[in-house]
Amino acid sequence: MLELIFLLPLLTGIISLFLPLNIGRPMLLIVALLHVQLSIMGWLGKLPVYNADFFSPQPAGMLVLLVTSFIFFWISLYTVRYIKETGMENKPVFLGCMLLFLGTMSMVTLADHPIVLWIAIEATTLVSAPLIFLHRSKEALEATWKYVLICSVGIALALLGCFFITLSIDIADVDIPLTFASLNQVAGQLDPIWLKAGFIFILIGFGTKMGLAPLHTWLPDAHSQAPSSASALLSGALLNCAFLGIYKTHTLMVLAGLGDFSGKLLVGFGLISMLVAGIFIMRQSDYKRMLAYSSIENMGVIAFGVGIGGFALYGAILHMIHHSLIKSSLFLSAGNIMRGFGSKAVKEVGGLIKYLPKTFLSFFAGFIGIAGLPPFGLFLSELFILIGTFQAHKPVAAFLFGFSLLLVIAGAAKIVMKMSFSDKPAWQNPMTQPQQRNETFMRTFPPYVLLLASLVLCIWMPDRLYTTIANTIQIIGGTING
Amino acid sequence: MTNINDIILVLILLSVLLSLASNRLITLVKVMALQGILVSLQPLLLDHHSNMGSGGVIFFQIMLLIKGILIPGLLFVALKRISIKREIEPIIGYHASLLAGLLIILLSVFITDKLQSSIPRGHELILTTAIATMSAGFFLMMSRRKAITQVIGYLMLENGIYLVGTALTRHSHTIYVVEFGVLLDLLVGVMIMGIILHDINHAYDDIDTDLLNRLKD
Repeated sequence: MLELIFLLPLLTGIISLFLPLNIGRPMLLIVALLHVQLSIMGWLGKLPVYNADFFSPQPAGMLVLLVTSFIFFWISLYTVRYIKETGMENKPVFLGCMLLFLGTMSMVTLADHPIVLWIAIEATTLVSAPLIFLHRSKEALEATWKYVLICSVGIALALLGCFFITLSIDIADVDIPLTFASLNQVAGQLDPIWLKAGFIFILIGFGTKMGLAPLHTWLPDAHSQAPSSASALLSGALLNCAFLGIYKTHTLMVLAGLGDFSGKLLVGFGLISMLVAGIFIMRQSDYKRMLAYSSIENMGVIAFGVGIGGFALYGAILHMIHHSLIKSSLFLSAGNIMRGFGSKAVKEVGGLIKYLPKTFLSFFAGFIGIAGLPPFGLFLSELFILIGTFQAHKPVAAFLFGFSLLLVIAGAAKIVMKMSFSDKPAWQNPMTQPQQRNETFMRTFPPYVLLLASLVLCIWMPDRLYTTIANTIQIIGGTING
Repeated sequence: MTNINDIILVLILLSVLLSLASNRLITLVKVMALQGILVSLQPLLLDHHSNMGSGGVIFFQIMLLIKGILIPGLLFVALKRISIKREIEPIIGYHASLLAGLLIILLSVFITDKLQSSIPRGHELILTTAIATMSAGFFLMMSRRKAITQVIGYLMLENGIYLVGTALTRHSHTIYVVEFGVLLDLLVGVMIMGIILHDINHAYDDIDTDLLNRLKD
């Protein structure tokens, strides 16, 4: 049954909270592998749904599920090694929460009932809080507090939005079960005022979790303080899950004939996020914070593309997939740099190419990818979004889009170039000199695979994936032919 | 016309004002317990909920248990462990807060009046109370320094949203299983916040949120 996809990691997660470490580590890998297998089976429609009132395999959700499952497997491979090498407290809690995190995220992707979706997204906040808190420093404490409080308050507003959508059914006096699938069918009859109010609250609520500016304040702190594998999951998988909530509501709005309203809001939020990220990325002194701001920018790009619609919508979905692959790879590389140099400060890292050559390759290639340069996928998706914007006759939006992209690339390039090629890093003491033997295979291999996946998807995309994307975007007027 | 429904809603509004004016944290927790009980009683007494099954009755008992006893209990334990009696120097003083509370209520009456044509009839006071509770929760979060008061503000916001969900919408949509999930999330959320609260106190010897300013750009 389909629910196994999230029940399996949830149950094993709870169990492995209490297991000793030498059983917990292989268990993480095994569950990750099983999860990939189950996701593919669910993808191919081999798993029947047990409770159709709450869960159903919608194409948009299945896309996010497949991406989450894929990157989780490689991140768990990295984590197993990372956890062995670093001296952190409470490792079983970390492993257990990783699995619970996977479980709740899978639940988000499968949920079709708005309030079940809400429950799952709130649950992701709760189970990922211990992941951020792992290092137990004062900074980590502050980041966790901000994360839990800001996200909970934000998501509480999304619950209000869900209730407003329920109210719009009541007022219109339609008798249907409360699922997105059946809501979409009767969208035209629903009460437009409450639907609009519901969308605004859901956009604010899930937008907080997705990291759209100006609601992003928790994101740089949480992503920079969490251990690298947790940041990779937060950026690569969690943000997509929050986006899914907004996307489903946007679909409903478009079908109800209010697509203009919701699209404009998404474009506005997207552009603000990109500009804010571009401004803040300029003078970052911490490379993990830089990556976090880059995530805000990319979420802005996705929101922008979805808001524009048409061909840009195809670009936005592609952007989501490739961003997950490249950003999680970058965070894993950043973890390797941190293991090598023992610091998150840009000024204490230098000469990556000389000291950590394997990590340099994945980090620099990741930077090329995130900057939207060929041969990686973000080049295609950003190009598609730009073309889509021109097709929609919005030159001003297209100009702002391009300008903020350049801003981010310039800011990030300055930092990455300094880290990679500068000769003399300002080491405070010679003891922190990086050691090449730190580059173990299991920590350097996963970032390569994730980048390679983006590269392959750019050149060749499986037909099944292609048709699923087409099905996802077709209902709201998206097109895959420019 | 006075019916028990309106009395409960007025009591909720009073509890909102009381929470804005109280400077002792223990009192604040007690007010929250009272508000939780009132919020969970309210949907039981509405007309369109009159024919609820046994599942509904059990659900509302659990809701009362969680909102009225379990969550305030957790807050109480957290308060004991960090041993702080009263809120010192709030960002906005108590008298000003009380005045703000009154303004919030006025504003929510105004908003409800605007929305009157598009809500089910006879539910105006519920919407007023819900909006006032939510806004006061936000106000509490922003105007107090102690981290625990922020948690209480969050709970108040959640109470207001719950009032919209349980009292304003029909129950055929929000099935009890779903609402139970929401409650469970809330409970775990407060639990995790309590744990972090304890750690903040441990690390800084205080739970003043002004101390949390190490991370910035």
